[in-house]
Amino acid sequence: MKQDIAWCPGCGNFPIRAALEKVLKELPVPAKNIVLTSGIGQAAKMPHYLPYSYFNGLHGRSLPLAVGIKLARPDLTVIAVSGDGCHYGEGGNHFIHTIRRRLDITILVCDNKVYGLTKGQSSPTTDLGMKNALDPQGNLNTPFSPLVTALAAGAPFVARTFAGDAQHMEQVLRESILFRGPSVVDILQPCVSFNKVNTYAWYRERLYKLEEPPRDRQEAMRLAEIWGERIPIGVFWRDGQFVCREIRETFRRPVTEAAVAKLLDTKCIMMR
Amino acid sequence: MEFNVLIGGEAGQGMFSVELELSETLSRLGYPFFATKNYMSRIRGGHNYHMIRVADRPVHALSGKPWDLVIAMDSAETERRHRPSLAADGIFLGADRVGQIEAEARETFRDPTASSTILAGLILACIGAEPSASRPLAPDESAARALAKGGEFAARWGLAARRVITPRPGDRCKLDGNQAIALGALMGGCQFVAGYPMTPATSIMHYFASVASEIPVHFEQAEDEIAALNMALGASYAGLRSMVATSGGGFALMTEAVSLAGMTETPVVVIDAQRPGPATGLPTRTEQGDLNFVLHAGHGEFPRVIFAPGSIEEAISLTRRAFDVADRWQIPVFILTDQYLADSVQVMEGRVPTKMLRRDYPVFEAGYRRYAITDTGVSPLTYPGLSEARVEVDSDEHTEDGKITEDLDLRVRMVDKRLRKLEGLRKEAVMPSRAGDRRAPTVLVSWGSNRQIVEEAVEALRAEGIAVSSVHFGQVYPLTAPMARGLARKRLICIENNATGQFGQLLRRELGLKVAHRILKYSGECFTVAELVERVRKILG
Repeated sequence: MKQDIAWCPGCGNFPIRAALEKVLKELPVPAKNIVLTSGIGQAAKMPHYLPYSYFNGLHGRSLPLAVGIKLARPDLTVIAVSGDGCHYGEGGNHFIHTIRRRLDITILVCDNKVYGLTKGQSSPTTDLGMKNALDPQGNLNTPFSPLVTALAAGAPFVARTFAGDAQHMEQVLRESILFRGPSVVDILQPCVSFNKVNTYAWYRERLYKLEEPPRDRQEAMRLAEIWGERIPIGVFWRDGQFVCREIRETFRRPVTEAAVAKLLDTKCIMMR
Repeated sequence: MEFNVLIGGEAGQGMFSVELELSETLSRLGYPFFATKNYMSRIRGGHNYHMIRVADRPVHALSGKPWDLVIAMDSAETERRHRPSLAADGIFLGADRVGQIEAEARETFRDPTASSTILAGLILACIGAEPSASRPLAPDESAARALAKGGEFAARWGLAARRVITPRPGDRCKLDGNQAIALGALMGGCQFVAGYPMTPATSIMHYFASVASEIPVHFEQAEDEIAALNMALGASYAGLRSMVATSGGGFALMTEAVSLAGMTETPVVVIDAQRPGPATGLPTRTEQGDLNFVLHAGHGEFPRVIFAPGSIEEAISLTRRAFDVADRWQIPVFILTDQYLADSVQVMEGRVPTKMLRRDYPVFEAGYRRYAITDTGVSPLTYPGLSEARVEVDSDEHTEDGKITEDLDLRVRMVDKRLRKLEGLRKEAVMPSRAGDRRAPTVLVSWGSNRQIVEEAVEALRAEGIAVSSVHFGQVYPLTAPMARGLARKRLICIENNATGQFGQLLRRELGLKVAHRILKYSGECFTVAELVERVRKILG
């Protein structure tokens, strides 16, 4: 079925979709075992345009869905893809705590520094002073730092890439999905309709690539705080020692009558 | 014959331990009993009290009769509040006597906590229970000695065999309402629970957390209730029967995900253990104030089922059924319980039925459509990763393939498809249970946790020659015409733990039944049998 894609011509979501499609196709994982979750917003439509199972849920809630799926089915590769408003704004609390859960979930954020679907209001990552319909005097809030927050929450894999650099994006996305643990990728993505500041050209003037991930978190944190005339992209932190939490296998292993009978013998009294 | 005991004191003074020791020994010895508690939202201080009713027949409510024994763990408050309701021949054990028992625990047993067991032994001696009879059954030698020591105190103070009660041997099981719900969930095939601690639902989560090392179930403590229900929906989508447990305030956060369950047709069971609101209300007391809230929770229109168990047996059977209904109809199903049922410890006669629900994992071809439109409204359900069939689920209005759509004709067909499930759900509704004289002109109507209080009140009224019967709704939504059979011409007295008579309103709206009188209580306390009898008598003049 040829699908009508609902993004604006020139939207940064197109190259992200293409990179994701390529990376997922080449992934050493059966396609049937890949599940995408997303919230609401333009980026959250991503799963509709990729050939995998998905649960496109509510605004800000792609991560708890991903947690539930991963706990129920550790055999599935779980990727939550949504925008900056969804992951960092409405879902901010889930962003912090999902990272803390030590599960193998990939968090991809199409970060265009603006609300697209609702027509250009400030998002958590909008630059200070940027003017728009709801901030006619200019955005009054300090921009949220996704990488610093992810590091502070204990994310063992933190990266940033750019929708205008297909090769870099594929490399970082592949690495983030293959990394075993909660991984966060902030994808800088121009919004051609509502963000007239952070354009492809604006980014190209400023971006530079990290050759190697830093050796310690302090250095990662220092790099993560850099934003302005120079903006680093690449893998900021990859914890080679990280161990995911173990998940009990429960799918298709129902609780037996014998097990419940045994519980009744032992736990049918108030617990001490 | 029965014996009504109240143990009062400050939070942290050990009343709960006494109740625990006593209820465990009572169930070992085969005494029917009912225990509930009235406690404050604090860890130390204040005033809490535990009420235990021991009888020679099954009892499932507070009698409301004067106390036969009041034990004060504190110096003044218990005496001030509860001594006035002591029976004429009742026993009052003040702080000085309790102090002697505590001294004994420290000196003889070198364990201050042994005083709880000694007190339990004393209470047992009052009803003529042989401490030695429980010796082989006591968990250990020192507990057996402490129980016996309680018997010695009772003998010394002339309390032994004050009110002899004969035990009833046979199979039985001691459960509180939340354990019953947890067991029902296990039997319904539940393997995933997510939650955020909230009184009075927390012990359901405790149960799952504590058994997760022994059986294949998950408990995940979520960062908030929003996450909890979304996690449960994620797990359900992935193939585990899932549940959340909360109270009204936590459920307030879940409502958007209830709507998500409705739209995505993801099976899930939601337990609302009610407590008095609005807002934080009375965090540790009881109320039935969330009926309208749960009935209308979630934006948009979609089918749902709400159960409200009235006993330990129903808490098990209706929760078990909730998973079956949720799964077969792919809808959210709710269980309304409350602090009273959650925290009441009761004896269940006979064996707990351990009949497990079976389920399957159907596999489909690559052309699988998650939202295929069918006559029943139910689309075939499968899970990701079982085959090339992709499971595509969307919170927007969607096509049969699960893709976002703005095709407005399809929108109408999809709404109709979802709502068609109600026809089938109505056919398999759980009928209300009746008790008492069916020919009586007056019917006491109840729902949820009040069932057994009302049924005992009906017995008491009939013993006085007052003709009444009772009807209890274990399913409160949807309400169906057959449920109203024989009720239209009766004088209905609707009994609810809330201030606005929510169920009475629902009866009128859904079934056209008019409630003649309401007996409402919203102080945060449960009804007692005596109080209910009194209020019914007043109405009937």
